[in-house]
Amino acid sequence: MLMRFRKVDVPFELYEIEILDASDEELEEISRELGLALSLDEMRRIKAYFEKQGRNPYDIELQSLAQAWSEHCCYKSSKYYLKQFLFGVDAEYVISAIKEDAGVVEFDENYAYVVALESHNHPSAIEPYGGAATGIGGILRDVLCMGAQPVALLDPLFFGEPDTSFEKLPKGTKHPLYLLSGVVAGIRDYGNRVGIPTVAGMVFFDEAYITNCLVNVGCVGIVRKDRIIHSRAGNAGDLFVLAGGATGRDGIHGVTFASAELDESSEEEARSAVQLGNPIMKEPLIHACLEIVEKSLLTGMKDLGGGGLSCVVGEMALAAGFGAEVWLEKVHLKEVGMSPWEIWVSESQERMMLTVHPKHVDEVLSIFAKWDVPAVVVGRVMDEKVLRVFYNGHKIYEMDIEFVSGGVEYCRPYVSKKPEVEGREEIRDIGKYEELLLAMLGHPNVASREWIVRQYDHEVRAATVIKPLQGMVNREGHGDAAVIKPLPNSWRGLALTADVNPWMAKIDPYWGTASSFDEMVRNLVAVGSIPHSFADCLNFGNPEKPERMGEFVESVKALGWMARGFALPCVSGNVSLYNETPHASVAPTPTLMGIGIVEDVRRAVTADFKKDGNAIVLIGETQPEFGGSLYSKVTGMKSSYVPRTSPERLKAYVKAMLEAFSSFKIHACHDLAEGGLAVAVAEMCIASGLGADLDLSSLDSQSFVKLFSESNTRWLVEVGSGDAEKLVEFFREGQLKAEIIGFVSGHELRVKDGKDGRKFIDVEIEKLDSAWRNGLARFLG
Amino acid sequence: MKPDEIRVAVLRIEGTNCEDETVLAFKHLGVEAEAVHLKQFYSDSVPDRDRRSIWDYNCLVFPGGFSAGDYVRAGAIFSARLKSVLRRDLEEFIKMDFPVLGICNGFQILTELGVLPGFDEDRPISDKPEMALGINDSSRFECRPTFLRHENRGNCIFTTKLEKEIVSFPVAHAEGKVIFPKGKEDEYFDMLTENDQLVFRYVDAEGNYAGYPWNPNGSMFNIAGICNVKGNVFGLMPHPERVFWRYQHSDWNRGTKPEGAGDGRAIFESVIEYLKRL
Repeated sequence: MLMRFRKVDVPFELYEIEILDASDEELEEISRELGLALSLDEMRRIKAYFEKQGRNPYDIELQSLAQAWSEHCCYKSSKYYLKQFLFGVDAEYVISAIKEDAGVVEFDENYAYVVALESHNHPSAIEPYGGAATGIGGILRDVLCMGAQPVALLDPLFFGEPDTSFEKLPKGTKHPLYLLSGVVAGIRDYGNRVGIPTVAGMVFFDEAYITNCLVNVGCVGIVRKDRIIHSRAGNAGDLFVLAGGATGRDGIHGVTFASAELDESSEEEARSAVQLGNPIMKEPLIHACLEIVEKSLLTGMKDLGGGGLSCVVGEMALAAGFGAEVWLEKVHLKEVGMSPWEIWVSESQERMMLTVHPKHVDEVLSIFAKWDVPAVVVGRVMDEKVLRVFYNGHKIYEMDIEFVSGGVEYCRPYVSKKPEVEGREEIRDIGKYEELLLAMLGHPNVASREWIVRQYDHEVRAATVIKPLQGMVNREGHGDAAVIKPLPNSWRGLALTADVNPWMAKIDPYWGTASSFDEMVRNLVAVGSIPHSFADCLNFGNPEKPERMGEFVESVKALGWMARGFALPCVSGNVSLYNETPHASVAPTPTLMGIGIVEDVRRAVTADFKKDGNAIVLIGETQPEFGGSLYSKVTGMKSSYVPRTSPERLKAYVKAMLEAFSSFKIHACHDLAEGGLAVAVAEMCIASGLGADLDLSSLDSQSFVKLFSESNTRWLVEVGSGDAEKLVEFFREGQLKAEIIGFVSGHELRVKDGKDGRKFIDVEIEKLDSAWRNGLARFLG
Repeated sequence: MKPDEIRVAVLRIEGTNCEDETVLAFKHLGVEAEAVHLKQFYSDSVPDRDRRSIWDYNCLVFPGGFSAGDYVRAGAIFSARLKSVLRRDLEEFIKMDFPVLGICNGFQILTELGVLPGFDEDRPISDKPEMALGINDSSRFECRPTFLRHENRGNCIFTTKLEKEIVSFPVAHAEGKVIFPKGKEDEYFDMLTENDQLVFRYVDAEGNYAGYPWNPNGSMFNIAGICNVKGNVFGLMPHPERVFWRYQHSDWNRGTKPEGAGDGRAIFESVIEYLKRL
């Protein structure tokens, strides 16, 4: 086999790979040997290309194609369905969607906000601290490269169950609590050091994540509209300036490793695929890039992420319709003796690529020097649509840019499942409501996240107006969304939330995804914001298996249906496939990040009850819907009927809610999600120390349904007792459901139902508080 | 001096990250403030238009952040660099009664540098640190609101305009536990009390000294902030610049006016008032 690699006679390491006369088996062998993760089909295409060129490729050329054609970089399995179902929801305020590293959306007359959401799953499963930290680093660069100042970070995380016994851990798998604390520490140490607040996120535990934890990271930035920078080269003749950290052997094959299943040998084989982060390089890099943007000294900018230099140069040139040449020996290195191909594909962190007109190069380099950020000119934009790489004067790479960066696309076969036909319905009333409520509050997926949230500096930049923990000091509870005030001289704000319900999506990818969309919108509305745009990070298993592809397609269909019907544009996204091992595949996890506009942050609303005597109003319609519910989880009774929703109904309720926010004084608002009404009202009590007296007899259902159903499109609202009737009337005039169900009162939660008025919940808030506060903390110490 | 003569330098190196909001706090009050990289004071590689001298300013602020990553000990690297390039000037600056403020990482830097507790009026920078800001008792970074009781009797020039006895500033740090030399704890505390150097101590919502989480780091004697013996150098772990406005408080929507003054504003007003009289 080794004779297919012929060392080239140059004073450095370079191999010619003999593929022209290779058989199919040998092509596959070459792909494996070089760690390319390319399929036979793809290898054949490469062979055909080089046959036309009349020569064999060099190692660096094959490595480059492997990066560019990886699932991670070119979305070859997902693109077809994304285009068919999800993309193309237009809104006149969207400035740039999907096409670049981050979405750009109008914020006000002069400013735009920038949105990016990504996964860093595979690296985090191998090395949680470094994987999560560099995930934050990468998402910051995605926002920065649009010329924007990052203003907030979000981190939706998914792990195996915290009480998993060590005996049950598959070989080579790390314990969920080890992963959780490593990931949180990585986000903390990177986010806190660069000084960007981590303001929202979620933590979800399920056995489906036991061998593949998911680490999604989101970032939002703000940019003046006339300073938006595009991820493409400026003009022929412009110079490529590489700035930031030195290039090393860390992060080689990151994208090809992220585009295959993990197994027990991944630990040893893939350590080097995890990059090393350095926030103290990133912090000045942000300042320097923004200063160069401010002075209009650049023509394009893109970050070095997956595939490193090999992807950034090709993609920037292709997007602008140009070619490029690169002088690889100019790249500043962490270590000596790196082969050209290693320099070309390394994913070392904290690097940005700028294109700069030659007359501005000196000034750009001096700005980087001022911030102690290394920067060098490494190449040039060319008219000819070819990518050429030189190393010490030797040409080691020459390919048509469209062949390299155009990518490949598949329409993979899929099968959809039929949850109701296959599933069972076991849900029934078992009484014991108070006991169930306490168990729900103490469930790790519901319980207080304070242990995590307080480790993140969530108010650096002093612009976090609604914080992730809200209510009475040292009694705080969770909010529905965080609110940032990104500009010092404007009251306009951004509401941010991250949502997905994997339990529901696991049973029914379609309705589970639709429910996740509904929840995202509910959370945005609960703080008084107008839903404005969203980003998605679609985490699924191996797309080569038709049933996994089926989950993906159903989920994308639902997302497209909701987004189109609700008219909410998807402005940025990421697909992470192959989150699967021989032991388990992740639950379908279409993580959504919602962005809302708060017209005046002084009117933003939190979830904690405010005043004894105020009325509590339930908005929305309650049905017996328990598929993927917390009730089903804590009672162990299965259900396959995942809550339904519709974009039209959601739209009607959102419109009414937003009108209610401006016509009534809303003291508190909270959406109904896991655990339904019971958990929502308990959370509003806990964060305020105030109790509630509820009578559910005006609702039309069985008691346990009223308490625990997870029907979509519902909120609890606290209003002055004098306003309550008018508020209910207002909703009913629009043919929408609203009921006064009780009052803020005392320091106990009391709930009764039925004609006999029997109280079936009567519990001190302190007791609810302690169940909720210890539910997750008891595992973390 | 006249208000338009006031010049505030908010000093930064790589990893400093609260300089923008700190500069803004001064600017909101109508005085000139700018973020200055330490390099601008000494490096030859800085272009002329960006060069600065400490004497261009009459107030120095060391803001929050993770200077140089704080990988050694919080504030250690920044203070070592200061010692090598600015020690004598800074000593002179303090002796000349100009105000110096250190917030969070800034407090850690002033402590490492030997500027605080600053018992000796004639030698405002001691040769060795006389106290430390150790790792929080929880062993974790903690970002949370705290209540502080103002206990200064008039010596500290940074709190003269503070009207409330109990204020709320947030903390966000992993190393904020005030520690005095072993065996000298009471002596130091008595000295601080006697010299009127105690400024803020952590209390609960009712104003009583209490344990975690009210005292977020386990600080001795619940100390949150102290000044030097002359009262012109002030260091504190909580962040006043993060509560300049009421809407920045974590519980502002529990019945307050969001556009009103936050509890931290008085710190900046006090030092400006002092500078006006200087």
